[in-house]
Amino acid sequence: MLFPVRCFTCGAPIGHLWEEFKKRVEAGEDPGKVLDDLGVKRYCCRRMFLSHVEIAYELLNFPKVS
Amino acid sequence: MEINVLEKEPNRVRMYIKDIPLHILNSIRRTMIADVPTMAIDTVVFTVNSTIFYDEYIAHRLGLVPLTSEAALEKYKPPEECREASERGLFTEDCFVKLDLEGENPPGSNNIITLYSGDLRTTDPDVRPVYDKIPIAILSPGQKISLEAYARLGRGREHAKWSPVSVAAHKFIADIIIDYEKCKAPECTDCINVCPRNVLIIDNDKVKVSPDKLFDCSLCRVCEEACKYRAIKINWRKNEYILLVETTGALSPKRVLLEAVKVLESKLDNLMEALKMEGITK
Repeated sequence: MLFPVRCFTCGAPIGHLWEEFKKRVEAGEDPGKVLDDLGVKRYCCRRMFLSHVEIAYELLNFPKVS
Repeated sequence: MEINVLEKEPNRVRMYIKDIPLHILNSIRRTMIADVPTMAIDTVVFTVNSTIFYDEYIAHRLGLVPLTSEAALEKYKPPEECREASERGLFTEDCFVKLDLEGENPPGSNNIITLYSGDLRTTDPDVRPVYDKIPIAILSPGQKISLEAYARLGRGREHAKWSPVSVAAHKFIADIIIDYEKCKAPECTDCINVCPRNVLIIDNDKVKVSPDKLFDCSLCRVCEEACKYRAIKINWRKNEYILLVETTGALSPKRVLLEAVKVLESKLDNLMEALKMEGITK
């Protein structure tokens, strides 16, 4: 769904970094370098960014019953 | 006792501590994780939610948002009392901070609206989200959300959202002993090549510990194994440790450490009192 507020493993807040990460990676920057720049050091937090798929935006295309 | 701050950032501190028994340092570390109170949203009341997200999903996300707690520790009642109040549904002002979130995407618009943690309206300016850019929900045209969230003090042992630290760890400091009679440097540099943290260097044709890299040694002992001549030995120093504290932003690392000591102290006082009551000690 949406990008998690915190890292599943260590609990560090990461939600606020997602939009900048997404913007910069879409502009063609190297994801690893962007994460270094944002101060995401541990590999538990880094995989949260690298493996995230934004399904919530797909769900918006379906009408809500009820 | 000797304490040196090695690294200091707003949310992160790394310290060298000498002459502290390991069990005491560990008690402080564990108290930081589980017993230092912070503010976090605990109860959410939804009035309208026509988004694609379940109420529970949004409430869970709100709970994980770190809230500034520096001033709240004195202002509000301790977690134990507030927990009872929340179970009875009494959202009193001496325990709870109310935060509102309202958002609507008018029907017929062409944009998707994202609601952020910064959109939460708080009744107490001392308790607000640490980060303003955490996405809470997204709304497509025609969807609406309106909720009241109640934050209170709590402890990490109840739920990890109340833990003020994301990392609290201590580690040993290596004692690297090199036997220069057995060592065949500079012809053999196996130990230097194999070290994952680049702790060892060649200096004047001798294998030496890089002066600023000693604290980086993880005591993995790969160098010991790599040395054909058994010339290197890794030990750890007694009563010398490195303490690393990384906070979620709710409290500063300094405050977390001080509060942890305070909490630990009061627990020991309680123990002494109980012993006196039982007549075991005077």
